[in-house]
Amino acid sequence: MKTNDIFNFRRFGKYFTSDLRTCWANYGLSLLTIAILFPVVTYFLTNAFNLVLNSTWDGPDIGLRSFIFIVATICLVVTMPVKCYGKITEKQYGSFFLTLPASRLEKFVSMFLMTSIIAPALGFALYLGTDAIICALDHTCGRNLVAGAMELIRNMGDMKELTMNFVDESITIENAALVHEILGQISNPWMYIDEIFGITLPFLLGAIYFKNGKTVKTILAIFAFSMATSIIMTPFMETWAAEIVRNANADPNTILQMFNNGIFKHLVLIDTISDTVVNLALMAGIWLRIKTLKH
Amino acid sequence: MITIKDLGFTYGETGGLKTITLNKEKGHMLPEDRYVLKNINMNLEEGRIYGLLGENGVGKTTLLTLLCGLKKPQTGSIDIDGHNPYDREPSFLADQYYLSDEVAPMNIKAIDYARNYGKFWEGFSLEKFIEIMKELETDPEQKMTRMSFGQLKKTYISFALACNTKYLFMDEPTNGLDIPSKAQFRKAVTKHTREDSVIVISTHQVRDLENIIDPIIILDRQDVLLNATMAEIAERLYFDYTSDKTDDALYSEMIPGGSIQVTLNQTGEDSKINLEALFNAVHQNKELIKGIFNK
Repeated sequence: MKTNDIFNFRRFGKYFTSDLRTCWANYGLSLLTIAILFPVVTYFLTNAFNLVLNSTWDGPDIGLRSFIFIVATICLVVTMPVKCYGKITEKQYGSFFLTLPASRLEKFVSMFLMTSIIAPALGFALYLGTDAIICALDHTCGRNLVAGAMELIRNMGDMKELTMNFVDESITIENAALVHEILGQISNPWMYIDEIFGITLPFLLGAIYFKNGKTVKTILAIFAFSMATSIIMTPFMETWAAEIVRNANADPNTILQMFNNGIFKHLVLIDTISDTVVNLALMAGIWLRIKTLKH
Repeated sequence: MITIKDLGFTYGETGGLKTITLNKEKGHMLPEDRYVLKNINMNLEEGRIYGLLGENGVGKTTLLTLLCGLKKPQTGSIDIDGHNPYDREPSFLADQYYLSDEVAPMNIKAIDYARNYGKFWEGFSLEKFIEIMKELETDPEQKMTRMSFGQLKKTYISFALACNTKYLFMDEPTNGLDIPSKAQFRKAVTKHTREDSVIVISTHQVRDLENIIDPIIILDRQDVLLNATMAEIAERLYFDYTSDKTDDALYSEMIPGGSIQVTLNQTGEDSKINLEALFNAVHQNKELIKGIFNK
Protein backbone atom coordinates (compact mmCIF):
# COMPACT_ATOMS: atom_id res chain seq x y z
CA MET A 1 0.00 0.00 0.00
CA LYS A 2 1.35 3.45 -0.92
CA THR A 3 1.95 6.03 1.84
CA ASN A 4 -0.59 8.29 0.17
CA ASP A 5 -3.19 5.56 0.65
CA ILE A 6 -2.45 5.38 4.38
CA PHE A 7 -2.54 9.05 5.35
CA ASN A 8 -2.64 12.23 3.33
CA PHE A 9 -2.95 15.55 5.17
CA ARG A 10 -4.82 17.29 2.37
CA ARG A 11 -7.38 14.51 2.08
CA PHE A 12 -7.64 14.28 5.86
CA GLY A 13 -8.42 18.00 5.97
CA LYS A 14 -11.22 17.49 3.46
CA TYR A 15 -12.51 14.46 5.32
CA PHE A 16 -12.39 16.16 8.70
CA THR A 17 -14.33 19.22 7.50
CA SER A 18 -16.94 16.93 5.90
CA ASP A 19 -17.15 14.93 9.10
CA LEU A 20 -17.52 18.14 11.10
CA ARG A 21 -20.38 19.32 8.86
CA THR A 22 -22.16 15.96 8.98
CA CYS A 23 -21.77 15.74 12.77
CA TRP A 24 -23.08 19.27 13.15
CA ALA A 25 -26.10 18.39 10.98
CA ASN A 26 -26.75 15.23 13.01
CA TYR A 27 -25.84 16.41 16.46
CA GLY A 28 -25.68 20.22 16.45
CA LEU A 29 -29.16 20.69 17.86
CA SER A 30 -28.62 18.10 20.60
CA LEU A 31 -25.30 19.73 21.51
CA LEU A 32 -26.93 23.15 21.78
CA THR A 33 -29.76 21.65 23.83
CA ILE A 34 -27.35 20.04 26.28
CA ALA A 35 -24.88 22.92 26.46
CA ILE A 36 -27.31 25.84 26.58
CA LEU A 37 -30.67 24.52 27.67
CA PHE A 38 -29.36 22.52 30.66
CA PRO A 39 -27.90 25.55 32.56
CA VAL A 40 -30.76 27.84 31.52
CA VAL A 41 -33.46 25.37 32.62
CA THR A 42 -31.56 24.67 35.86
CA TYR A 43 -31.42 28.41 36.54
CA PHE A 44 -35.12 29.04 35.93
CA LEU A 45 -36.31 25.89 37.72
CA THR A 46 -34.22 26.67 40.83
CA ASN A 47 -35.50 30.22 40.91
CA ALA A 48 -39.07 29.04 40.38
CA PHE A 49 -38.79 26.55 43.27
CA ASN A 50 -37.17 29.16 45.51
CA LEU A 51 -39.92 31.64 44.68
CA VAL A 52 -42.67 29.15 45.44
CA LEU A 53 -41.13 27.53 48.51
CA ASN A 54 -39.06 30.34 50.08
CA SER A 55 -40.49 33.43 48.35
CA THR A 56 -36.93 34.45 47.42
CA TRP A 57 -35.19 35.01 44.12
CA ASP A 58 -32.16 32.79 44.58
CA GLY A 59 -30.26 31.20 41.69
CA PRO A 60 -28.65 27.75 41.75
CA ASP A 61 -25.43 27.63 43.79
CA ILE A 62 -22.12 26.38 42.42
CA GLY A 63 -22.65 22.91 43.90
CA LEU A 64 -25.90 22.31 42.04
CA ARG A 65 -24.52 23.85 38.86
CA SER A 66 -21.42 21.62 39.06
CA PHE A 67 -23.65 18.57 39.46
CA ILE A 68 -25.78 19.56 36.43
CA PHE A 69 -22.57 20.22 34.49
CA ILE A 70 -21.42 16.64 35.20
CA VAL A 71 -24.85 15.29 34.16
CA ALA A 72 -24.69 17.33 30.94
CA THR A 73 -21.17 16.06 30.24
CA ILE A 74 -22.32 12.46 30.68
CA CYS A 75 -25.30 13.11 28.35
CA LEU A 76 -22.95 14.60 25.75
CA VAL A 77 -20.40 11.79 25.92
CA VAL A 78 -23.07 9.09 25.79
CA THR A 79 -25.22 10.51 22.99
CA MET A 80 -22.69 12.14 20.64
CA PRO A 81 -20.93 9.04 19.21
CA VAL A 82 -24.24 7.25 18.61
CA LYS A 83 -25.76 10.21 16.78
CA CYS A 84 -22.65 10.98 14.71
CA TYR A 85 -21.28 7.53 13.94
CA GLY A 86 -23.82 4.97 15.15
CA LYS A 87 -25.41 4.69 11.74
CA ILE A 88 -22.34 3.18 10.10
CA THR A 89 -23.56 -0.19 11.28
CA GLU A 90 -26.63 0.29 9.05
CA LYS A 91 -26.23 -0.74 5.44
CA GLN A 92 -27.35 2.54 3.82
CA TYR A 93 -25.04 4.77 5.82
CA GLY A 94 -22.27 2.27 6.41
CA SER A 95 -21.83 1.47 2.71
CA PHE A 96 -21.24 5.12 1.96
CA PHE A 97 -18.91 5.59 4.94
CA LEU A 98 -16.76 2.64 3.93
CA THR A 99 -16.56 3.52 0.24
CA LEU A 100 -15.89 7.23 0.77
CA PRO A 101 -12.41 7.84 -0.67
CA ALA A 102 -10.46 8.44 2.52
CA SER A 103 -8.14 6.00 4.26
CA ARG A 104 -9.11 3.98 7.31
CA LEU A 105 -6.57 5.89 9.37
CA GLU A 106 -8.04 9.24 8.30
CA LYS A 107 -11.55 8.08 9.18
CA PHE A 108 -10.31 6.80 12.54
CA VAL A 109 -8.38 9.95 13.45
CA SER A 110 -11.33 12.14 12.46
CA MET A 111 -13.70 10.05 14.58
CA PHE A 112 -11.33 10.21 17.54
CA LEU A 113 -10.84 13.96 17.31
CA MET A 114 -14.55 14.61 16.93
CA THR A 115 -15.71 12.49 19.87
CA SER A 116 -12.82 12.98 22.27
CA ILE A 117 -11.73 16.55 21.65
CA ILE A 118 -13.95 18.69 19.39
CA ALA A 119 -17.39 17.77 20.75
CA PRO A 120 -16.43 17.84 24.46
CA ALA A 121 -14.44 21.07 23.99
CA LEU A 122 -17.30 22.74 22.13
CA GLY A 123 -19.84 21.43 24.62
CA PHE A 124 -17.77 22.64 27.59
CA ALA A 125 -17.15 26.05 26.00
CA LEU A 126 -20.85 26.57 25.28
CA TYR A 127 -21.94 25.28 28.67
CA LEU A 128 -19.39 27.27 30.66
CA GLY A 129 -20.08 30.35 28.52
CA THR A 130 -23.80 30.10 29.22
CA ASP A 131 -23.10 29.57 32.92
CA ALA A 132 -20.81 32.61 32.99
CA ILE A 133 -23.51 34.77 31.34
CA ILE A 134 -26.15 33.57 33.82
CA CYS A 135 -23.85 34.29 36.78
CA ALA A 136 -22.91 37.71 35.39
CA LEU A 137 -26.59 38.64 34.98
CA ASP A 138 -27.73 37.25 38.31
CA HIS A 139 -25.30 37.55 41.24
CA THR A 140 -27.46 35.27 43.43
CA CYS A 141 -25.81 32.34 41.57
CA GLY A 142 -22.41 33.21 43.01
CA ARG A 143 -19.22 32.42 41.14
CA ASN A 144 -19.40 30.92 37.69
CA LEU A 145 -18.09 27.39 37.13
CA VAL A 146 -14.83 28.52 35.52
CA ALA A 147 -14.01 30.84 38.41
CA GLY A 148 -14.96 28.09 40.87
CA ALA A 149 -12.73 25.56 39.12
CA MET A 150 -9.84 28.02 38.98
CA GLU A 151 -10.12 28.56 42.69
CA LEU A 152 -10.24 24.80 43.32
CA ILE A 153 -7.10 24.28 41.25
CA ARG A 154 -5.40 27.15 43.03
CA ASN A 155 -6.27 25.60 46.39
CA MET A 156 -5.15 22.15 45.34
CA GLY A 157 -1.94 23.60 43.97
CA ASP A 158 -1.17 25.21 47.27
CA MET A 159 -0.37 21.90 48.93
CA LYS A 160 2.20 23.10 51.36
CA GLU A 161 -0.24 25.29 53.18
CA LEU A 162 -2.81 22.53 53.15
CA THR A 163 -0.35 19.97 54.44
CA MET A 164 0.81 22.15 57.26
CA ASN A 165 -2.73 22.09 58.61
CA PHE A 166 -2.21 18.39 59.30
CA VAL A 167 0.88 18.97 61.31
CA ASP A 168 -0.16 19.04 64.91
CA GLU A 169 0.97 17.22 67.93
CA SER A 170 -0.12 13.82 66.66
CA ILE A 171 1.51 13.86 63.16
CA THR A 172 5.24 13.90 62.62
CA ILE A 173 6.97 16.17 60.12
CA GLU A 174 7.92 13.04 58.13
CA ASN A 175 4.26 11.99 57.80
CA ALA A 176 3.24 15.53 56.94
CA ALA A 177 5.71 15.34 54.07
CA LEU A 178 4.10 12.03 53.03
CA VAL A 179 0.63 13.58 53.05
CA HIS A 180 2.04 16.43 51.02
CA GLU A 181 3.43 13.99 48.48
CA ILE A 182 0.20 11.95 48.22
CA LEU A 183 -1.92 15.07 47.83
CA GLY A 184 0.53 16.34 45.27
CA GLN A 185 0.12 13.16 43.27
CA ILE A 186 -3.68 13.27 43.51
CA SER A 187 -3.83 16.90 42.43
CA ASN A 188 -1.67 16.35 39.33
CA PRO A 189 -3.98 17.42 36.44
CA TRP A 190 -2.48 14.84 34.08
CA MET A 191 -4.10 12.14 36.22
CA TYR A 192 -7.51 13.42 35.11
CA ILE A 193 -6.85 14.59 31.56
CA ASP A 194 -6.42 11.09 30.09
CA GLU A 195 -9.58 10.04 31.95
CA ILE A 196 -11.56 12.05 29.34
CA PHE A 197 -10.54 9.55 26.65
CA GLY A 198 -11.40 6.71 28.99
CA ILE A 199 -14.97 8.04 29.05
CA THR A 200 -15.41 9.02 25.38
CA LEU A 201 -13.68 6.06 23.70
CA PRO A 202 -15.86 3.24 25.15
CA PHE A 203 -19.00 5.00 23.90
CA LEU A 204 -17.48 5.54 20.46
CA LEU A 205 -16.51 1.87 20.27
CA GLY A 206 -19.99 0.86 21.46
CA ALA A 207 -21.62 3.12 18.86
CA ILE A 208 -19.79 1.54 15.95
CA TYR A 209 -19.65 -2.00 17.33
CA PHE A 210 -23.20 -2.75 18.48
CA LYS A 211 -25.94 -2.78 15.87
CA ASN A 212 -28.71 -1.85 18.31
CA GLY A 213 -29.09 -0.92 21.96
CA LYS A 214 -25.73 0.81 21.57
CA THR A 215 -25.76 2.90 24.77
CA VAL A 216 -27.26 0.25 27.04
CA LYS A 217 -24.91 -2.44 25.75
CA THR A 218 -21.91 -0.11 26.16
CA ILE A 219 -22.87 0.65 29.76
CA LEU A 220 -23.30 -3.08 30.43
CA ALA A 221 -19.93 -3.79 28.82
CA ILE A 222 -18.25 -1.12 30.98
CA PHE A 223 -19.96 -2.61 34.02
CA ALA A 224 -18.76 -6.12 33.09
CA PHE A 225 -15.22 -4.84 32.48
CA SER A 226 -15.18 -3.05 35.84
CA MET A 227 -16.42 -6.20 37.57
CA ALA A 228 -13.74 -8.28 35.88
CA THR A 229 -10.93 -5.87 36.77
CA SER A 230 -12.21 -5.66 40.36
CA ILE A 231 -12.15 -9.45 40.65
CA ILE A 232 -8.62 -9.55 39.23
CA MET A 233 -7.38 -6.74 41.48
CA THR A 234 -9.01 -8.01 44.69
CA PRO A 235 -6.23 -10.50 45.67
CA PHE A 236 -3.62 -7.77 45.28
CA MET A 237 -5.50 -5.23 47.32
CA GLU A 238 -6.94 -7.59 49.92
CA THR A 239 -3.88 -7.89 52.17
CA TRP A 240 -3.24 -4.19 52.14
CA ALA A 241 -6.91 -3.31 52.77
CA ALA A 242 -7.09 -5.86 55.61
CA GLU A 243 -4.08 -4.21 57.24
CA ILE A 244 -5.75 -0.81 57.04
CA VAL A 245 -8.89 -2.21 58.68
CA ARG A 246 -6.78 -3.90 61.35
CA ASN A 247 -5.00 -0.64 62.15
CA ALA A 248 -8.10 1.52 61.89
CA ASN A 249 -7.94 2.43 65.53
CA ALA A 250 -4.19 2.95 65.61
CA ASP A 251 -2.62 6.39 65.80
CA PRO A 252 -2.60 8.55 62.62
CA ASN A 253 1.15 8.06 62.13
CA THR A 254 0.78 4.26 61.79
CA ILE A 255 -2.09 4.66 59.32
CA LEU A 256 -0.20 7.24 57.29
CA GLN A 257 2.87 5.00 57.11
CA MET A 258 0.71 2.39 55.38
CA PHE A 259 0.42 4.79 52.47
CA ASN A 260 4.20 5.03 52.37
CA ASN A 261 4.58 2.54 49.51
CA GLY A 262 5.31 2.42 45.78
CA ILE A 263 1.65 2.60 44.73
CA PHE A 264 1.05 6.00 46.29
CA LYS A 265 4.47 7.39 45.51
CA HIS A 266 4.03 6.63 41.83
CA LEU A 267 0.27 7.13 41.67
CA VAL A 268 0.28 9.39 38.61
CA LEU A 269 2.61 7.10 36.71
CA ILE A 270 0.61 3.97 37.55
CA ASP A 271 -2.67 5.70 36.75
CA THR A 272 -1.30 7.10 33.49
CA ILE A 273 0.08 3.73 32.40
CA SER A 274 -3.12 1.84 33.21
CA ASP A 275 -5.30 4.50 31.56
CA THR A 276 -3.03 4.59 28.51
CA VAL A 277 -3.19 0.80 28.16
CA VAL A 278 -7.00 0.85 28.37
CA ASN A 279 -7.26 3.81 25.98
CA LEU A 280 -4.89 2.19 23.49
CA ALA A 281 -6.91 -1.03 23.66
CA LEU A 282 -10.11 0.95 23.01
CA MET A 283 -8.48 2.80 20.10
CA ALA A 284 -7.28 -0.50 18.67
CA GLY A 285 -10.84 -1.81 18.94
CA ILE A 286 -12.22 1.22 17.10
CA TRP A 287 -9.54 0.93 14.42
CA LEU A 288 -10.23 -2.79 13.96
CA ARG A 289 -13.96 -2.19 13.71
CA ILE A 290 -13.45 0.40 10.95
CA LYS A 291 -11.00 -1.93 9.20
CA THR A 292 -13.16 -5.02 9.30
CA LEU A 293 -16.67 -3.56 9.05
CA LYS A 294 -18.55 -5.13 6.14
CA HIS A 295 -21.93 -4.56 4.57
CA MET B 1 -10.43 -4.10 -16.07
CA ILE B 2 -11.98 -6.27 -13.40
CA THR B 3 -10.69 -9.82 -13.06
CA ILE B 4 -12.60 -12.22 -10.86
CA LYS B 5 -10.88 -15.54 -10.13
CA ASP B 6 -12.46 -18.52 -8.34
CA LEU B 7 -14.48 -16.14 -6.20
CA GLY B 8 -16.37 -17.71 -3.34
CA PHE B 9 -18.50 -16.14 -0.63
CA THR B 10 -20.73 -17.55 2.04
CA TYR B 11 -22.92 -16.16 4.79
CA GLY B 12 -23.38 -17.71 8.20
CA GLU B 13 -21.14 -18.87 10.98
CA THR B 14 -20.03 -22.13 9.33
CA GLY B 15 -19.10 -20.34 6.16
CA GLY B 16 -16.16 -21.98 4.53
CA LEU B 17 -15.23 -24.04 7.60
CA LYS B 18 -15.12 -27.61 6.39
CA THR B 19 -14.03 -28.93 9.77
CA ILE B 20 -17.48 -28.40 11.24
CA THR B 21 -19.49 -31.58 10.97
CA LEU B 22 -23.13 -31.02 10.20
CA ASN B 23 -25.83 -33.50 9.38
CA LYS B 24 -27.62 -32.78 6.14
CA GLU B 25 -30.43 -35.19 6.96
CA LYS B 26 -31.26 -33.18 10.06
CA GLY B 27 -31.65 -30.11 7.93
CA HIS B 28 -28.22 -28.64 8.61
CA MET B 29 -26.64 -26.92 5.69
CA LEU B 30 -23.20 -28.12 4.87
CA PRO B 31 -20.56 -25.42 4.49
CA GLU B 32 -20.43 -26.21 0.79
CA ASP B 33 -24.15 -25.48 0.42
CA ARG B 34 -23.87 -22.15 2.20
CA TYR B 35 -21.84 -20.64 -0.60
CA VAL B 36 -23.78 -17.88 -2.28
CA LEU B 37 -21.04 -17.45 -4.84
CA LYS B 38 -18.68 -20.28 -5.68
CA ASN B 39 -15.86 -20.52 -8.18
CA ILE B 40 -16.97 -17.42 -10.02
CA ASN B 41 -14.63 -16.50 -12.85
CA MET B 42 -15.12 -13.58 -15.19
CA ASN B 43 -13.50 -10.52 -16.69
CA LEU B 44 -15.35 -7.22 -16.90
CA GLU B 45 -13.99 -5.03 -19.64
CA GLU B 46 -13.82 -1.28 -20.03
CA GLY B 47 -16.42 0.67 -21.97
CA ARG B 48 -19.29 -1.65 -21.16
CA ILE B 49 -22.49 -1.48 -19.15
CA TYR B 50 -23.00 -4.92 -17.64
CA GLY B 51 -26.48 -6.04 -16.67
CA LEU B 52 -26.36 -8.38 -13.69
CA LEU B 53 -29.47 -10.54 -13.62
CA GLY B 54 -30.56 -13.41 -11.43
CA GLU B 55 -33.29 -14.70 -9.18
CA ASN B 56 -33.65 -13.51 -5.60
CA GLY B 57 -30.83 -14.69 -3.36
CA VAL B 58 -28.38 -15.80 -6.05
CA GLY B 59 -25.82 -13.23 -4.93
CA LYS B 60 -26.18 -10.21 -7.19
CA THR B 61 -25.91 -7.70 -4.35
CA THR B 62 -23.19 -9.84 -2.73
CA LEU B 63 -21.15 -9.73 -5.94
CA LEU B 64 -21.53 -5.96 -6.20
CA THR B 65 -20.55 -5.42 -2.58
CA LEU B 66 -17.51 -7.66 -3.10
CA LEU B 67 -16.54 -5.63 -6.16
CA CYS B 68 -16.68 -2.34 -4.31
CA GLY B 69 -14.86 -3.63 -1.21
CA LEU B 70 -17.73 -3.76 1.24
CA LYS B 71 -17.17 -7.48 1.71
CA LYS B 72 -14.11 -9.67 1.74
CA PRO B 73 -13.94 -12.67 -0.61
CA GLN B 74 -13.65 -15.88 1.35
CA THR B 75 -12.03 -17.74 -1.50
CA GLY B 76 -10.52 -16.55 -4.75
CA SER B 77 -9.72 -12.97 -5.63
CA ILE B 78 -10.92 -9.79 -7.29
CA ASP B 79 -8.44 -7.57 -9.06
CA ILE B 80 -9.46 -4.11 -10.21
CA ASP B 81 -6.61 -2.38 -12.02
CA GLY B 82 -4.15 -3.95 -9.58
CA HIS B 83 -6.22 -3.15 -6.49
CA ASN B 84 -7.84 -5.58 -4.09
CA PRO B 85 -11.18 -3.84 -3.41
CA TYR B 86 -11.35 -4.96 0.23
CA ASP B 87 -8.16 -3.00 1.00
CA ARG B 88 -10.35 0.08 0.41
CA GLU B 89 -7.40 2.19 -0.66
CA PRO B 90 -8.44 5.80 -1.24
CA SER B 91 -6.80 5.78 -4.69
CA PHE B 92 -9.10 2.89 -5.66
CA LEU B 93 -12.19 4.24 -3.90
CA ALA B 94 -11.77 7.58 -5.70
CA ASP B 95 -12.25 5.82 -9.01
CA GLN B 96 -15.33 3.81 -8.12
CA TYR B 97 -18.82 4.46 -6.80
CA TYR B 98 -21.29 2.01 -5.33
CA LEU B 99 -24.95 2.93 -5.37
CA SER B 100 -26.73 0.76 -2.83
CA ASP B 101 -30.33 -0.39 -3.30
CA GLU B 102 -31.09 1.17 0.09
CA VAL B 103 -30.29 4.86 0.17
CA ALA B 104 -29.85 7.01 3.26
CA PRO B 105 -31.73 10.26 3.87
CA MET B 106 -29.00 12.61 5.15
CA ASN B 107 -29.98 15.55 7.28
CA ILE B 108 -28.81 18.14 4.70
CA LYS B 109 -29.89 19.59 1.35
CA ALA B 110 -29.03 17.54 -1.73
CA ILE B 111 -26.80 20.32 -3.05
CA ASP B 112 -24.93 20.53 0.27
CA TYR B 113 -24.51 16.77 0.26
CA ALA B 114 -22.95 16.99 -3.21
CA ARG B 115 -20.69 19.89 -2.15
CA ASN B 116 -19.68 18.16 1.07
CA TYR B 117 -18.81 14.76 -0.38
CA GLY B 118 -18.23 15.34 -4.10
CA LYS B 119 -14.74 16.71 -3.44
CA PHE B 120 -13.51 13.23 -2.57
CA TRP B 121 -13.95 12.05 -6.16
CA GLU B 122 -11.47 13.77 -8.47
CA GLY B 123 -13.79 13.70 -11.45
CA PHE B 124 -16.80 15.05 -9.57
CA SER B 125 -18.60 17.99 -11.13
CA LEU B 126 -21.18 20.00 -9.19
CA GLU B 127 -22.53 21.45 -12.45
CA LYS B 128 -23.06 17.95 -13.74
CA PHE B 129 -24.83 16.98 -10.52
CA ILE B 130 -27.21 19.92 -10.85
CA GLU B 131 -27.74 19.14 -14.54
CA ILE B 132 -28.63 15.49 -13.88
CA MET B 133 -30.85 16.49 -10.96
CA LYS B 134 -32.70 18.80 -13.36
CA GLU B 135 -32.97 16.05 -15.97
CA LEU B 136 -34.42 13.76 -13.30
CA GLU B 137 -36.75 16.58 -12.19
CA THR B 138 -35.49 16.75 -8.61
CA ASP B 139 -34.79 19.91 -6.65
CA PRO B 140 -31.19 20.04 -5.41
CA GLU B 141 -32.16 22.64 -2.80
CA GLN B 142 -34.53 20.21 -1.09
CA LYS B 143 -33.51 18.65 2.23
CA MET B 144 -32.84 14.94 1.76
CA THR B 145 -34.80 13.94 4.86
CA ARG B 146 -37.92 15.52 3.27
CA MET B 147 -37.55 13.64 -0.03
CA SER B 148 -39.61 10.66 -1.10
CA PHE B 149 -37.76 7.40 -1.71
CA GLY B 150 -37.84 8.01 -5.48
CA GLN B 151 -36.47 11.54 -5.13
CA LEU B 152 -33.76 10.30 -2.81
CA LYS B 153 -32.83 7.59 -5.27
CA LYS B 154 -32.64 10.16 -8.07
CA THR B 155 -30.38 12.34 -5.90
CA TYR B 156 -27.99 9.46 -5.34
CA ILE B 157 -28.11 8.47 -9.02
CA SER B 158 -27.22 12.07 -9.93
CA PHE B 159 -24.38 12.04 -7.42
CA ALA B 160 -23.10 8.67 -8.66
CA LEU B 161 -23.04 9.85 -12.26
CA ALA B 162 -21.56 13.26 -11.35
CA CYS B 163 -18.64 11.49 -9.65
CA ASN B 164 -17.52 10.45 -13.14
CA THR B 165 -15.73 7.34 -11.89
CA LYS B 166 -14.30 4.57 -14.02
CA TYR B 167 -16.11 1.89 -12.03
CA LEU B 168 -19.76 2.32 -11.21
CA PHE B 169 -21.73 -0.36 -9.41
CA MET B 170 -25.46 0.13 -9.14
CA ASP B 171 -27.78 -2.15 -7.20
CA GLU B 172 -31.39 -2.00 -8.40
CA PRO B 173 -31.10 1.66 -9.43
CA THR B 174 -34.57 1.86 -10.98
CA ASN B 175 -36.39 0.58 -7.89
CA GLY B 176 -38.64 3.32 -6.63
CA LEU B 177 -38.41 5.41 -9.80
CA ASP B 178 -41.59 6.41 -11.61
CA ILE B 179 -42.06 5.60 -15.32
CA PRO B 180 -40.72 8.89 -16.77
CA SER B 181 -37.77 8.76 -14.40
CA LYS B 182 -36.78 5.33 -15.68
CA ALA B 183 -36.46 6.72 -19.20
CA GLN B 184 -34.54 9.72 -17.85
CA PHE B 185 -32.28 7.37 -15.93
CA ARG B 186 -31.43 5.43 -19.11
CA LYS B 187 -30.71 8.69 -20.91
CA ALA B 188 -28.55 9.97 -18.05
CA VAL B 189 -26.50 6.77 -17.83
CA THR B 190 -25.68 6.81 -21.53
CA LYS B 191 -25.03 10.56 -21.58
CA HIS B 192 -23.05 11.10 -18.39
CA THR B 193 -20.68 8.16 -18.13
CA ARG B 194 -17.10 7.89 -19.32
CA GLU B 195 -16.24 5.94 -22.44
CA ASP B 196 -13.74 3.79 -20.58
CA SER B 197 -16.00 3.12 -17.61
CA VAL B 198 -17.09 -0.28 -16.37
CA ILE B 199 -20.67 -0.08 -15.17
CA VAL B 200 -22.34 -3.01 -13.48
CA ILE B 201 -26.08 -2.70 -12.90
CA SER B 202 -27.91 -5.33 -10.93
CA THR B 203 -31.64 -5.45 -11.58
CA HIS B 204 -34.84 -7.43 -11.54
CA GLN B 205 -36.52 -4.84 -13.76
CA VAL B 206 -34.92 -5.99 -17.02
CA ARG B 207 -37.31 -3.95 -19.14
CA ASP B 208 -36.16 -0.75 -17.45
CA LEU B 209 -32.65 -1.27 -18.72
CA GLU B 210 -33.19 -3.34 -21.86
CA ASN B 211 -31.70 -0.80 -24.21
CA ILE B 212 -28.62 0.17 -22.25
CA ILE B 213 -27.13 -2.98 -20.78
CA ASP B 214 -24.67 -4.97 -22.82
CA PRO B 215 -23.25 -7.54 -21.99
CA ILE B 216 -25.63 -9.56 -19.86
CA ILE B 217 -24.52 -11.62 -16.87
CA ILE B 218 -27.03 -14.12 -15.51
CA LEU B 219 -26.14 -15.49 -12.12
CA ASP B 220 -27.46 -18.71 -10.67
CA ARG B 221 -26.85 -20.07 -7.19
CA GLN B 222 -23.09 -20.66 -7.04
CA ASP B 223 -22.71 -20.29 -10.80
CA VAL B 224 -22.59 -17.92 -13.75
CA LEU B 225 -25.07 -19.14 -16.34
CA LEU B 226 -24.36 -16.53 -18.97
CA ASN B 227 -21.85 -13.76 -19.55
CA ALA B 228 -22.24 -12.62 -23.13
CA THR B 229 -22.66 -9.51 -25.22
CA MET B 230 -25.93 -8.80 -26.98
CA ALA B 231 -24.21 -9.57 -30.29
CA GLU B 232 -23.08 -12.98 -29.01
CA ILE B 233 -26.57 -13.72 -27.71
CA ALA B 234 -28.19 -12.70 -31.01
CA GLU B 235 -25.65 -14.81 -32.86
CA ARG B 236 -26.48 -17.95 -30.87
CA LEU B 237 -30.13 -17.52 -29.94
CA TYR B 238 -33.11 -16.52 -32.02
CA PHE B 239 -36.10 -14.63 -30.64
CA ASP B 240 -39.16 -15.48 -32.69
CA TYR B 241 -42.15 -13.17 -32.28
CA THR B 242 -44.45 -14.98 -34.76
CA SER B 243 -47.36 -17.09 -33.57
CA ASP B 244 -46.02 -20.23 -35.29
CA LYS B 245 -45.09 -22.63 -32.56
CA THR B 246 -41.91 -24.67 -32.91
CA ASP B 247 -41.25 -27.84 -30.96
CA ASP B 248 -37.56 -27.19 -30.38
CA ALA B 249 -38.09 -23.85 -28.65
CA LEU B 250 -35.94 -23.40 -25.54
CA TYR B 251 -38.63 -21.17 -24.11
CA SER B 252 -41.99 -19.96 -25.26
CA GLU B 253 -44.49 -17.56 -23.78
CA MET B 254 -47.79 -16.09 -24.88
CA ILE B 255 -47.66 -12.32 -25.15
CA PRO B 256 -50.42 -9.90 -26.21
CA GLY B 257 -50.85 -10.25 -29.96
CA GLY B 258 -48.90 -13.49 -30.34
CA SER B 259 -46.08 -15.32 -28.65
CA ILE B 260 -42.36 -15.19 -28.12
CA GLN B 261 -40.13 -18.18 -28.57
CA VAL B 262 -36.44 -18.55 -27.95
CA THR B 263 -34.68 -21.06 -30.16
CA LEU B 264 -31.11 -21.81 -31.14
CA ASN B 265 -30.07 -19.52 -33.96
CA GLN B 266 -29.31 -21.99 -36.73
CA THR B 267 -29.78 -19.63 -39.67
CA GLY B 268 -27.64 -16.75 -38.38
CA GLU B 269 -30.63 -14.45 -38.74
CA ASP B 270 -30.69 -11.38 -36.49
CA SER B 271 -33.50 -10.91 -33.97
CA LYS B 272 -34.45 -8.44 -31.24
CA ILE B 273 -33.47 -9.81 -27.86
CA ASN B 274 -36.17 -9.92 -25.22
CA LEU B 275 -34.37 -9.97 -21.87
CA GLU B 276 -37.20 -11.56 -19.91
CA ALA B 277 -37.52 -14.37 -22.44
CA LEU B 278 -33.73 -14.75 -22.48
CA PHE B 279 -33.65 -14.96 -18.67
CA ASN B 280 -36.34 -17.63 -18.61
CA ALA B 281 -34.77 -19.57 -21.50
CA VAL B 282 -31.42 -19.60 -19.69
CA HIS B 283 -33.01 -20.76 -16.45
CA GLN B 284 -34.90 -23.58 -18.11
CA ASN B 285 -31.87 -24.78 -20.07
CA LYS B 286 -28.94 -24.07 -17.77
CA GLU B 287 -26.48 -26.68 -18.97
CA LEU B 288 -27.38 -26.27 -22.64
CA ILE B 289 -26.92 -22.50 -22.51
CA LYS B 290 -23.63 -22.81 -20.62
CA GLY B 291 -22.47 -25.28 -23.24
CA ILE B 292 -23.43 -22.98 -26.10
CA PHE B 293 -21.82 -19.86 -24.68
CA ASN B 294 -18.71 -21.46 -23.19
CA LYS B 295 -17.63 -22.95 -26.51
